[in-house]
Amino acid sequence: MATGTERQGTDGTAAFGGVSRLRGVVFQYVTFAASLFGILSLAVLLGYVFWDAFGLETAESAWYATMVVTVVLPVAGFLLYARRNPLAGRTALELAATATGGVLSGFALVVVLEVIAGSGLWFAYFLAVGVPLGALYLYGRRVEASWTGLAVLGVLVAGPVAGTVLLGPLSRIGGVLGGPGVYYLSVIAPTALVARHVVDGYLDGPNGNYVALATLVVPILAVPAVDTVAVLSRSVWLLFFPTLVVPFSIVAGRNLAAPGRRVGVVGPLAFALGVGLLAVVPDLLGITGPSPWFDWQYVTSAPSQTAEQAGLYPAIIGSIFMIVLVALLTLVLGVGAALYLEEYAPSSGPAGAVTQLIRINISNLAGVPSVVYGILGLAVFANTLQFGFGTVITAAFTLSLLILPIVIISAREAIRSVPDSLREASYGMGATRWQTIKNVIMPRAIPGILTGTILALGRAIGETAPLIMIGVATTKFSPPSGLFGKMTAMPMQVFTWSSYPSEAFQHGVVAAGVVTLLIVLLTMNSVAILLRNEFERGDY
Amino acid sequence: MTDDRARTASRRSFLTTAGAVGAVGLAGCTEESGNGNGESGGSEDTGTSTELSGEIDITGSSTVFPLATAVAEQFRKDNSEVDISIQSTGSGGGFENFFCPGESDINNASRPIKDSEKENCMSNDVVSHEVVVATDALTVVINNENDWATEMTVEELEQIWGPDASADQTWADVNDQWPDEEIERFGAAETSGTFDYFTETIMGEEGAHTQDYEPTETDRTIVQGVQGSPYAIGYFGFAYFFQNPDQVTAVAIDDGDGPVKPSLETAASGEYTPLSRPLFTYPNENRLSEDHIAEFMRYFIEQSTSEEVVAEQVGYVPRSDEQAQKELDELNAAIEEMG
Repeated sequence: MATGTERQGTDGTAAFGGVSRLRGVVFQYVTFAASLFGILSLAVLLGYVFWDAFGLETAESAWYATMVVTVVLPVAGFLLYARRNPLAGRTALELAATATGGVLSGFALVVVLEVIAGSGLWFAYFLAVGVPLGALYLYGRRVEASWTGLAVLGVLVAGPVAGTVLLGPLSRIGGVLGGPGVYYLSVIAPTALVARHVVDGYLDGPNGNYVALATLVVPILAVPAVDTVAVLSRSVWLLFFPTLVVPFSIVAGRNLAAPGRRVGVVGPLAFALGVGLLAVVPDLLGITGPSPWFDWQYVTSAPSQTAEQAGLYPAIIGSIFMIVLVALLTLVLGVGAALYLEEYAPSSGPAGAVTQLIRINISNLAGVPSVVYGILGLAVFANTLQFGFGTVITAAFTLSLLILPIVIISAREAIRSVPDSLREASYGMGATRWQTIKNVIMPRAIPGILTGTILALGRAIGETAPLIMIGVATTKFSPPSGLFGKMTAMPMQVFTWSSYPSEAFQHGVVAAGVVTLLIVLLTMNSVAILLRNEFERGDY
Repeated sequence: MTDDRARTASRRSFLTTAGAVGAVGLAGCTEESGNGNGESGGSEDTGTSTELSGEIDITGSSTVFPLATAVAEQFRKDNSEVDISIQSTGSGGGFENFFCPGESDINNASRPIKDSEKENCMSNDVVSHEVVVATDALTVVINNENDWATEMTVEELEQIWGPDASADQTWADVNDQWPDEEIERFGAAETSGTFDYFTETIMGEEGAHTQDYEPTETDRTIVQGVQGSPYAIGYFGFAYFFQNPDQVTAVAIDDGDGPVKPSLETAASGEYTPLSRPLFTYPNENRLSEDHIAEFMRYFIEQSTSEEVVAEQVGYVPRSDEQAQKELDELNAAIEEMG
């Protein structure tokens, strides 16, 4: 030993000097090249697709010049300024995020409530599930009653059943109220409560009661103005109000109230103004702009043999309808299974071996090709359970099965990553297992669970192979009529178009379809990311 | 004298939509009144306001798919309440998995229904009614740089595509005037009606086909493959070639009477043999008692004569007025029977 130390001591300088850093540097650049490869190829592909979808080829160089002057330069200038004044940058980001998120979630809400469910159906379930839940929650906050928790579970189980049984009479009530009335009661009124809670609890400044009152009154006062805009129906206005107008007003008001932040408003304002100018100025000067394939007509009309009239509407609605069901099913089944496997299932003895076997098999299931799930869906849901070929419910169940393993695995990882010391501390304070899961584990695991679910849902909405197996229509001219209605999905329609011979389909319509799919995917993800951040920020 | 309300009601909307194909529409109308209708009076009066509604499920051949889509799109312009879903499953897959089990109302096919399929359907009490909706021509294509094989005989095609064609077969093996370069083949996948049709007409036996080729369901892939090599050869439906005549060169086929180039004219006249074929659609006769399905089928037959829809939009050969009239008469008889 002594000699070893000796030698190291004598040769120390030479040994240290001999350590080569080459390997490390090479490794660093290999990883850099690996990440660059993926990002660059994706960027090239997406750039190409967007170029086609927005028809940028036809735009004159004068149009690009106008764009640079009206949009790029002001925004770039503001970004440069924001480097010196980070507070302004943050303000601008906050405003832009609220506006984009508001528009996207507004569209999502309109599609899910107004187009897919319809106000009558939505109101029936709102009365049967939403109202009792809200009442129990408020009551539970006021009175320390231990039975409210169980009652919530009861409502969650019995509510949908009651809603389905009483669907006729309940949706007749909705029918009497009409679409706007339904949304006023079921969306605006709860929004007012939430706004009051948020403003009072988290923001200093305005009185929450005034905000709530404004939330209730403004939508009605604005109705005459809304009626003058043809595209904006009263229902759509009432649905966009809580997603876009209320959060944006609160955020904008708060930023305007703080003197240091005021300057940050300039950025988004300049951008909006620039886009507005870009829409008007080239027309006035007679400059040819781009001729986008992806436009309002495209997302609102049915497929067609002529590229100019082709649209994706039935497929968009079909895909969203399906993915909403898939999200509900996988969250309930996936998180439930993960919680049981991690927290309740025995981990030792013969029963533990069975649990272990189940865990391993779930991991294996994640690698099964999607076509196999398609065949399974065909056999189980379409044939045995008679859900019908190519119906929304068959597709939703099949895709849920497909992504369940991924959701379960990621949820288990998230639950497992909650430190044991927290669990033990909770038990040590006398909490029951259920209280520990509810108060300690779930709040910390939810961000991870949501991340896994987002990735899985992204995979589900792009799936085509299982849909072909269960007989989903290739082309359909109207959105699905209900749970048991026939559907088609965006990837199916885009795939069909990709085999159409004409150039306009190959390079325009297909690219626009890809862009639509991406936008729906991004909307979905941004809603989930928002939720996740909300949970991550919360100090539990 | 067995008549049905359904039929007369839909007849009226048929009339309103028939503008473009007036001749057939009128003929159909006279035929209809000739059949006599006892209780038609009432529904005739309210006929124009009768909105057709319901679902139509169409499955089957990927060759007929574009035609069915084009017709469905037109049909829905006047009948927006009819919910049509079209699935491209291949002729055989459609009969086997959807039509015969009663899951779909109409199955398209790029070949006549087989006896085995008929029996399969009969065992489920599904009776198919045959309607010819257009004529398709298969096109054999070569690279634009290929100047030696612009005319080929059926025997030469058989050598190239037959089951005995070896993997390293060269053009010179087929005809010693041709270059000594390996042939690259791009053809239809075994599930497609195009494959069945090509093998049956060229090789004389269904399914007899070389294994050494690039099988695909998409015509575009074949075009891209053929464009990629001067020594490539491929075949697919005429529709694609009609819309992209410059990307590849069509081979004139010599069936004993001299080479004939594929075109709308030569296919319709029957000159372009043996690679032109009728395309079919098979409604389920039991479902013809449903108003909207019967009306859709009538509309489909009407449109089968339309140059605009069949030739320009889809690229097949339209039917003549007489042929369509005959189909319409047969269909109406079938509808009557189901009434």
